[in-house]
Amino acid sequence: MSNVSKVPRRSLFDRLFEPPRIGAMAPGAKIIVYTLLLAWSAFVLFPIYWLLITSVKTAADVNAGPFFIPFVDFTPSLHAWRELFIVDYADTLRAYVNSLIISLAATALAVLVGSMAAYALARIRYQPNLITILIFILTMTAALFAVFSYGVDWRIVLVVGVGIFYFFSKAVASRVKVPLANGDILFWMISQRILAPIVVVVPIYMMFQSVRMLDTHLAIILTYAVVNLPIVIWLMYDFFNSIPKDLEESAQLDGATMIMTFREVVLPLSRAGLAATTLLVMILCWNEYLLALFLSTAKAQTMPILVAAMNAGERGILWWSMSVVIIVMIIPVVFMAIVLQRYISKGVLLGAVKG
Amino acid sequence: MSTDMSSASETDTLTSDAKRLSIRKMNKHYGDFHAVKDLDIEVEPGEFLVLLGPSGCGKSTALRMIAGLEEITSGEVIMGERDVTHVLPKYRDIAMVFQSYALYPHKTVAENIGFPLKVTGVPLEQRNQAVLDAAAQVQMETLLERYPRELSGGQRQRVALARAIIRRPSAFLMDEPLSNLDAKLRGFMRAELKHMQHELGVTTIYVTHDQIEAMTLAHRVAIMKDGELQQLGTPAEVYTNPTNLFVAGFMGSPPMNFIEGTLSQGSIQVGNDKIFLQGAQEGTAVTMGFRPEDADVVEAGEGRFDAMVYTAEMTGDLTLVTVKHGQSILTIKMPKDFVVDYDQKVGIQFDSGLSYLFSTSDGSRLKAIVVDS
Ligand SMILES: Nc1ncnc2c1ncn2[C@@H]1O[C@H](COP(=O)(O)OP(=O)(O)O)[C@@H](O)[C@H]1O
Ligand SMILES: [Mg+2]
Repeated sequence: MSNVSKVPRRSLFDRLFEPPRIGAMAPGAKIIVYTLLLAWSAFVLFPIYWLLITSVKTAADVNAGPFFIPFVDFTPSLHAWRELFIVDYADTLRAYVNSLIISLAATALAVLVGSMAAYALARIRYQPNLITILIFILTMTAALFAVFSYGVDWRIVLVVGVGIFYFFSKAVASRVKVPLANGDILFWMISQRILAPIVVVVPIYMMFQSVRMLDTHLAIILTYAVVNLPIVIWLMYDFFNSIPKDLEESAQLDGATMIMTFREVVLPLSRAGLAATTLLVMILCWNEYLLALFLSTAKAQTMPILVAAMNAGERGILWWSMSVVIIVMIIPVVFMAIVLQRYISKGVLLGAVKG
Repeated sequence: MSTDMSSASETDTLTSDAKRLSIRKMNKHYGDFHAVKDLDIEVEPGEFLVLLGPSGCGKSTALRMIAGLEEITSGEVIMGERDVTHVLPKYRDIAMVFQSYALYPHKTVAENIGFPLKVTGVPLEQRNQAVLDAAAQVQMETLLERYPRELSGGQRQRVALARAIIRRPSAFLMDEPLSNLDAKLRGFMRAELKHMQHELGVTTIYVTHDQIEAMTLAHRVAIMKDGELQQLGTPAEVYTNPTNLFVAGFMGSPPMNFIEGTLSQGSIQVGNDKIFLQGAQEGTAVTMGFRPEDADVVEAGEGRFDAMVYTAEMTGDLTLVTVKHGQSILTIKMPKDFVVDYDQKVGIQFDSGLSYLFSTSDGSRLKAIVVDS
C-alpha cells in the first residue's frame, strides 16, 4: 500500500536540481542564477564605482594605480571637483545648462510632433500617389535651384512652380497611379533613422552655416528633434495601435470631438508609451556627441563635448576631471528614469486589461 | 404609486419621441469586395430590429455605416426627418454598445457612465444625478467607484448599457453585445435588455449571429447572407414562412431537416419510398424541408419513408431522435419518454402542410406542396 504512492528515493544531486514544490526553483538552479546575477551586477556596477573613486584621486594616484579602496590604497582628494566646480565652474555650468536645455527642448519637440504623426498614421488611412510625390520633389528641387543658383525672384518661381506641379499632377498623376499606404509612409520615416548620422552631418553643418545658426541652441535642438522623430513615430505608432479602436469610436459616438477623444481616452492610455519614448529620446539627446561636435563650437557646447575635451589638453587625459563630469552627467538621467518608471509600470498594468 | 405614474408617463413621452430609421439602398465596397449589397430597411419608431446572419455576412459593417463609423459607398441613412448619410457620428445622436463593451479602462464606472454627458458639457451636478439614475436602471449603483478591470463580464455589460441609455439617444445600435457572456448570464441579460428597450422605447438595431437571440428579442428580424438581405419579418414570419433555403436552414434549433431529390413522375425518391409533390416541374432538383417538431418517429413502413436511428438525446423536456437516411442526417423532436434503439429501422411521418419545398439550384422557395399519394 505504501509503495504505490511513494516517490522513488532520489540522490542528493537529483534533489539539488529538482524543484522542491510546483512553481518553486530548484536549489541548484537558484545558486547558479544568483551567482550569474551577482557577477553581472558587479560587471555593470564596477565602472560606476571606478568613476566615483577616480574622481577623488590625484594625478599621481591614477598614474601609480590601480588603487581600489579609498583611505586604504590612496588618500582621496576633492581637487578635481574643486577645479570643475570652483575654478572652471563657468564652463562646466554652461555645458550642463546647454545639455539640459537642448535635451529637454529637443525631446519635447520630437515627442510632441512624433506622437501626433504616429496617431495620424495609426488612425487615418492615407493613400498618397507615389507619382504625385515624385512630381512634387522634382518641381521643388528645380524651384530651389532656380532661386539659389540662378537668382530668379522667388515669387516668380513660386507661381510657376505651383503651376507646373498642378499641371503635371493633373496630367500624369491622375492617369498613372502608384498608390502608397500607411505602412509605406511609416517605413519611409523609419528609413531616415537607418541612415547613419555621419552621412548627413556635413550637409547639416553647411545648412546651418549658410543661415548663420552654427553654435546656437536652436540649431542643435532642431537637429536632435528631427533625428529622433523616426524613433518616436515608430514606438508611438505601435503603442497607439495597441489601444482598441472601439474606445475611440465609442467616444466619438458619445459626442466627443477629436481633441476630447485624444485628451480623455488616447492620452491617458498612452502615458506608458509616452514615458518610455520620452526617456529613450532624452537619453539619446543627452549622450549625443557627433552632431554636437559639428554644430557647436563654444557657446552651445554640451556635456559630451566637455567630456571629450578632457582628453585633448596638453596635460594628457584628465581622468579625474573626466570622471567628475561623467558622474554629474549620469545624475539627471537616473532621476528621469526614476520619475518616469512609475508611469511605465503603471501603464503596463492598465494596458493588460482590455475593454 | 406616484413613481409608477411618473415612469409610465415618461415611457409614453419617450415612445412618442422615438425616431424612424430608414436605410435605403445602402452599399459598402472594400476595394473589389462588396461587403453590403443594396440594404433596404425601414426601422419603425421604437422598434427592436435584429440584424441576423452568419459571421462575415456584413452585419457589423452595416451597423457601423449606420453609426457613421464607416463610410457609406452608396445609399442613404435617414433618422426621423434628417438625412445623416454624411453626418459625423457625434451629430447622429446614436448610442452604440460594442461587443468588447469599449469601457475606458482608466475611468471608474461612474466616469464611464457619465462620459457622454461630460463631453457634451452637462454640468457636474446634473450629470451625477443622471449617472445615479442610469446606474440604478442596470443595478450597478453600488459599484460606481470600481474600475472596469474589477468587474465581471456581466457587470461590464451593464456599465456599457448604462452609458448607452444615460443620454436618451434617438437610436441604440448593438453589435453582438451578449456574445462574451456565458450561456446562463446571456439568457438573463437578454431578458433584461428586452425589458429595458421596451421601457425606454428607443429605436434599436441589434446585430447577432445567434438565431435564438434574434427570435427572442426582435420585433422584426432582418436575415443577411453575403451582404444581402434575405428576408425581413417578425420572428414568427421568418420561422414559419421562410423565403428561401438559407433562411429556412438558419432559423430554428435544431435546424430544419432537408432531403434532396429530383422530381420524376410527380415524386422524389427517398430510399425505397416515394414522396409525391404537386406544382413543381418534372426534372427539377428540389430540396424538401420539415422542422424537427413537425415530424414524428413511427413504426417502420408506416411513415412517408424509412430511416435508421443514429442516436437519441434526452434534453430534459424532450428527446431528440437523430436518424440517418442516405447522406442526410435528420433530427426529430419527440416526447421526453420516447425510447428507441441504435440502428433501429423506423418510419418518419410529417404533415404535408408543414413541409417546405425549395429549388436546389438557387435555393428559392417553390410553390409546390407535398401531397399524400
Ligand atoms: N476594413 C475592411 N477591409 C476589407 N474587408 C473588410 C473590412 N472590414 C470587414 N471586411 C469584410 O467584410 C465582410 C463583412 O464583415 P463584417 O461586417 O465584420 O461581418 P459580420 O459582422 O457579419 O461578421 C467580411 O468578409 C470582412 O472580411
Ligand atoms: Mg461582426
